[in-house]
Amino acid sequence: MSKEILTGNELTSGAAVYLSATGEWVEPLQSARLFSKEEVAERDAALAATKAGGRVISLEIEEVDEVDGQIVPKRLRERIRAAGPTAPLTLNGQAYDRQHLGEDGHVSI
Amino acid sequence: MYRYDEFDAAFVAGRTAQFADQVKRRLSGELTEDQFRPLRLMNGLYLQLHAYMLRVAVPYGTLSSRQMRKLAHIARVYDRGYGHFTTRQNIQYNWPKLKDIPVILDELASVEMHAIQTSGNCIRNVTTDQFAGAAADEIIDPRPVAEILRQWSSLHPEFSYLPRKFKIAITGASHDRAAIRFHDIGLQAAVNAAGEIGWEVWVGGGLGRTPMIAKLINSFVPNEHLLAYLESIMRVYNRYGRRDNKYKARIKILVHEEGLETIKGQVEAEFAEVRGGVLTLPSEEVDRISAYFALPDFAPQSLTKIDVAYESILDAAYGRWLDNNINAHAQPGYASVTVSLKPVGGAPGDATHTQMEVVADLAEKYSYDELRVTHEQNLVLPHVALADLRAVFDALVAAELAEGNNNLITDMICCPGLDFCALANARSIPIAQEISRKFAEPARQKEIGELKIKISGCINACGHHHVGHIGILGVEKKGGELYQITLGGDATEHASVGKIIGPGFEAENVPGAIEKLVDFYIAQRQGTDETFIQAYRRLGEAPFKEALYGTA
Repeated sequence: MSKEILTGNELTSGAAVYLSATGEWVEPLQSARLFSKEEVAERDAALAATKAGGRVISLEIEEVDEVDGQIVPKRLRERIRAAGPTAPLTLNGQAYDRQHLGEDGHVSI
Repeated sequence: MYRYDEFDAAFVAGRTAQFADQVKRRLSGELTEDQFRPLRLMNGLYLQLHAYMLRVAVPYGTLSSRQMRKLAHIARVYDRGYGHFTTRQNIQYNWPKLKDIPVILDELASVEMHAIQTSGNCIRNVTTDQFAGAAADEIIDPRPVAEILRQWSSLHPEFSYLPRKFKIAITGASHDRAAIRFHDIGLQAAVNAAGEIGWEVWVGGGLGRTPMIAKLINSFVPNEHLLAYLESIMRVYNRYGRRDNKYKARIKILVHEEGLETIKGQVEAEFAEVRGGVLTLPSEEVDRISAYFALPDFAPQSLTKIDVAYESILDAAYGRWLDNNINAHAQPGYASVTVSLKPVGGAPGDATHTQMEVVADLAEKYSYDELRVTHEQNLVLPHVALADLRAVFDALVAAELAEGNNNLITDMICCPGLDFCALANARSIPIAQEISRKFAEPARQKEIGELKIKISGCINACGHHHVGHIGILGVEKKGGELYQITLGGDATEHASVGKIIGPGFEAENVPGAIEKLVDFYIAQRQGTDETFIQAYRRLGEAPFKEALYGTA
């Protein structure tokens, strides 16, 4: 049974963030609050509160699966958003790290 | 090189200060995101998958060493130490923070650069031949006209809210290296019966979800009336271009739906009104701007030829580089050097800040302080003495910029794709990396010869896949990535749009599919002089399709 998470980009850094169970917007996908189909009202209330706050933008509802206790977004786009680019850096062969929140980027609803 | 006059300096300074205030108000919460978004887009600031992306305009791809050093500085201090050069001859930074944008724009303004009109429904950065002012096959240096177009189109009040974005390319050579037939307006230098130089005007070309080859709307517009003619086209487009559907809003759709003759009649009617008015280019003003682009005072050179075959025996890598990355210069004893940003396994178009510094140093020392960005995502040192080529090559080797692969199979155009782009459906960079690894062997690349592969991660075609000899289009299918292959595209004066030749491939099978097509071409070609695109045109689609998919 798939569930939903809320995601967006933090205003100052642009970093991909997820709404956690404690109402904070955090970097780790695995800390995301899972909304069941019965929790549409809570989900929409969180979305509205976040939008009103204006510190997390480009808000989206993403469908996810739980696989071996891990949250796995259904869309490849969202999996790449969570982990960072897959293409290695030209010179050292390492993948680019994802964007991180700056010290002024911590947001709660 | 162009230089800002007091008007340019004032509007860039004004806009930079204005946007700094808008950022401040956004961060304080005074502006909502809905209010701020159109403002940031007007200043080249996008929000992509992982972060903001800032697109900086490089006017017609021309840079000085000082400007390139500033781009390196911005990459080093405010981003992650690299930048991505694009098919509009611009540069993009993939990781800037919103709070740093005002100071980045200040830094850019200090070297006469900005990010204005790199997004939005306005006239975008005018592009041109990367060898402009240097190429041996040039009729006229297009840069003075490109500069006039830059001045005319910057903050043009009538064309700030067009139905859709608008792209202009200009070339002064008969061989089209600027893909002018795939622009909203393409300009090609022409000579009339009286021997005067003017411009062929092409209209309604483009890529994206509806690729179209531009149509010739006027075979000769005199230089002095060019702005009036272009303004006439813009007015017709602004008046009649569709605003009900963004996918049908480009001028190519208007020309296609109304027909060239109808549009031509409307343009001519408008032209009759504005011709001879304030948009007439005074020859003294053209001369003044042309003086900024006067050729360097070239030092006489005793070395006017290089024996590439001999050099290849001594040093194969240097020989390959001479063979592929050197373009004939109008000035005896000089050449234009293409600096490849396509290392095997690298991300096409990316350059680190140290590489940008190296290229800036080389431009200052060996290329009269000039640099170019190509629409094929490489850099160019336009004016290098043949006697200095070895020193330039050695410096590029040390900076890992000496790949001798210009116009070969590993010299691919590639969009950022789903690794970075919010619009993409599939990844592009890993596909380019795997193809370049598969064909990394220099002898293999030489055997294949000129072959242009272009890769896009969605139908918007930023990777120009429609005009690749082999095009690759990433699409989303059942939650995964699938790659369609097109054949027969060509961005030059022999313009053609590639055709999808069959079912798509999984990512891991794309390099193998390319290899089948390449092997078939080599087996069928009428000698090594017949290029892939020539063989494709001679043989047609069917045998290539059979080679790729087998007999039905």
